[in-house]
Amino acid sequence: MKKLGQDRVHEIKHLQRCINDLVSLMALPAIWSGHEPSQIVEMLLDALLNMLGLEFVCARLDDPVTAAPVEILRVAESCKLKVPRQDIGVALAGWLKRDREIPLPPTSAFGEKISIVPVPLGVHGEIGMIVVGSERENFPSQTESLLLTVAANQASIALREAVLLNEQKQIASELDRRVVQRTAELASTNEELRREIAERKLAETLLSQSHAQAVRSEEKWRSVFENSAVGVALADLNGRFIGTNPVFQKMVGYTDDELRQLTFLEITHEDNVEHNRALIRDLVGGKRQQFQVENQYRRKDGQAVWARNNVSILPGTDREPRFLMALSEDITQRKLSEDALAKARLELTKVASITSLGVLTASIAHEVNQPLSGIITNANTCLRMLSADPANIDGARETVRRTIRDGRRASEVITRLRTLYSKKDPIVEAMDLNEAAREVTALSSTEIQKNGVTLRQELADDLAPAFGDRIQLQQVILNLVRNAVDSMSTIDSRPRELLIRTEWDNENQVRLSVRDSGAGLTPEAADRIFEAFYTTKSDGMGIGLSVSRSIIEAHQGRLWATPNDGPGCTFSFAIPCMPKALADEETGRHPADSAADAA
Amino acid sequence: MKSLPARQEQYQGVMDIPNEMQHCSVMQSHKGRSRDGHPLLSVVDDDESVRESLPDLIKEFGFAARAFSSAEEFLSSGSVDETSCLILDIAMPGMSGPELHQELKRLGQQIPVIFITGQRDETIRARVLKQCAAGLLLKPFSDVDLLAAIETALQGM
Repeated sequence: MKKLGQDRVHEIKHLQRCINDLVSLMALPAIWSGHEPSQIVEMLLDALLNMLGLEFVCARLDDPVTAAPVEILRVAESCKLKVPRQDIGVALAGWLKRDREIPLPPTSAFGEKISIVPVPLGVHGEIGMIVVGSERENFPSQTESLLLTVAANQASIALREAVLLNEQKQIASELDRRVVQRTAELASTNEELRREIAERKLAETLLSQSHAQAVRSEEKWRSVFENSAVGVALADLNGRFIGTNPVFQKMVGYTDDELRQLTFLEITHEDNVEHNRALIRDLVGGKRQQFQVENQYRRKDGQAVWARNNVSILPGTDREPRFLMALSEDITQRKLSEDALAKARLELTKVASITSLGVLTASIAHEVNQPLSGIITNANTCLRMLSADPANIDGARETVRRTIRDGRRASEVITRLRTLYSKKDPIVEAMDLNEAAREVTALSSTEIQKNGVTLRQELADDLAPAFGDRIQLQQVILNLVRNAVDSMSTIDSRPRELLIRTEWDNENQVRLSVRDSGAGLTPEAADRIFEAFYTTKSDGMGIGLSVSRSIIEAHQGRLWATPNDGPGCTFSFAIPCMPKALADEETGRHPADSAADAA
Repeated sequence: MKSLPARQEQYQGVMDIPNEMQHCSVMQSHKGRSRDGHPLLSVVDDDESVRESLPDLIKEFGFAARAFSSAEEFLSSGSVDETSCLILDIAMPGMSGPELHQELKRLGQQIPVIFITGQRDETIRARVLKQCAAGLLLKPFSDVDLLAAIETALQGM
């Protein structure tokens, strides 16, 4: 019977603790769900303080809305540092900064030897920073580094989700608010409509009376006409005004005398003229007795005013021919609020599509957590077999074999993700590649500036509409831009330049390329960068380019990388577009069209 | 490196036995024993890596273990009567974990069930625990948590 060496027992125990700590960290997101970002960070700090036996742990969390950072400090009760608590926070200020340009400050402020490690939250530290301190000189060990990284990753995902959830809540409440506002507006519009109908009935009654008692009720009729809350305009069958009331005059900005020189159609907005002309023709031709129409008048001062009109034809008498009567209500305010609503809705759709960019990262995290289950169970079993007396070496070997295989299986998750993209047909629509690129650069402009990168855009203005799924293509562009920015983060000897260019690739395809002045690609990397889990970044997952290529291939396009003549490299994709011949024909015809319109 | 102290209290959210289960009267005697005399634990999960790894760990705990790839396979296996405790995945193609649990109850089988799941969905969790499950573990889980859940489940026997 073999006795296990003390060292091995110790190491097995150590690894067991590490796995258990790992499991604890993996369990944290379940507890975090639904909590505020600051609460999530507090729980994370407490867990790390205990798990790693730290002296202190401190975090800076950037609020994406107010941009005001929150700082949280936890000091162990057993902390042996002689520095007062409040001074620890002050001394750590330099460590909590994200800027990689500034060298990390010395640890002398703490008066004694201490190992301090900053851990960024988020791939670029865009969410915040955690700084941990231990009095142990060899801190962090390999397993401790692993735990710190996993903890930061878990927290980053949870914090992103919390932010997303908050945004969704805000969008929902904003929508609610607008619906309430809109309902109120509709209610008041309805009220006005009822009033208007009543007035119209009254006017009609009075009008019919006026025919019967033309002479006697002349004054009464005139009073109603003058004092009506809605605009009233009378016109002959050619549409020439023969009488208007003050409300109508005020609405269109002309005096009664001026209006008598004009026709309905002459003050009607050019967009509505034809429609109105046809309606009046129907009225005069006897096809209809009245019509309702919402149209725009051109005021005397040139301003457009929206009106809802009820136009009827009134029978003539022996002495008078038939004439037209329009009851007009100014609805400009309502139209403006409708436009505002439509605009708001458009903005919200944009927000929704941008947040779906974030959803992609969250789904990857979830999918990768799954195969870890098998790996952890196998590792646990392996350690138990090894610490048994006698050690079950064969069994342990088998579990190790399975652990390795499960690791490979994890990469199948990414393959599945790729299949998901190639199977899910992109929603293909004609889209403006330049516009898509502009939106992405607007979205990343803070990140670009923060990294000291100069952005140049050369977007061809003769580009035909591309055929593609805008959101998916924007994910690809965003990914290429981020990669480019990352590749330049260590470059100090030359300017960090990012060039985004669109151009024709051939007669049937348009191309977008992202060129950086970064570290470039080694031939070995150039072969492998599109493989899942291959990454040249210290903190990347190696998923972005692989998924990007799947997206482009699903668009019947191609994505490739080429080294630059100078430093850096260029990533490009080309996708189908409206054929050049067709596009030229279209653009060739456009100027003629607009000339005809103007004439 | 210290292991997290008092982890059971701290992470109760992951595998506690909540109050709504106290009124459940499931914890009746069940005389499942495998042929070699160790209590038999059956694992039902459509994920092959779980079916391979979990039985080995359970055997390391000193129990007998068998794995099944679906609820249907388990029901038709003839192992139902022998099983002392069922470790059951929630989301599976065909009959789901909770559906198998209901079916076993309908058949008069009072096997304590520990659910395992990779989904962190609170509503599923609440529904499963209402069904008088003996426990719920979120994947990935540690050997310590699994052993604790099994011991709790078997104590009810």
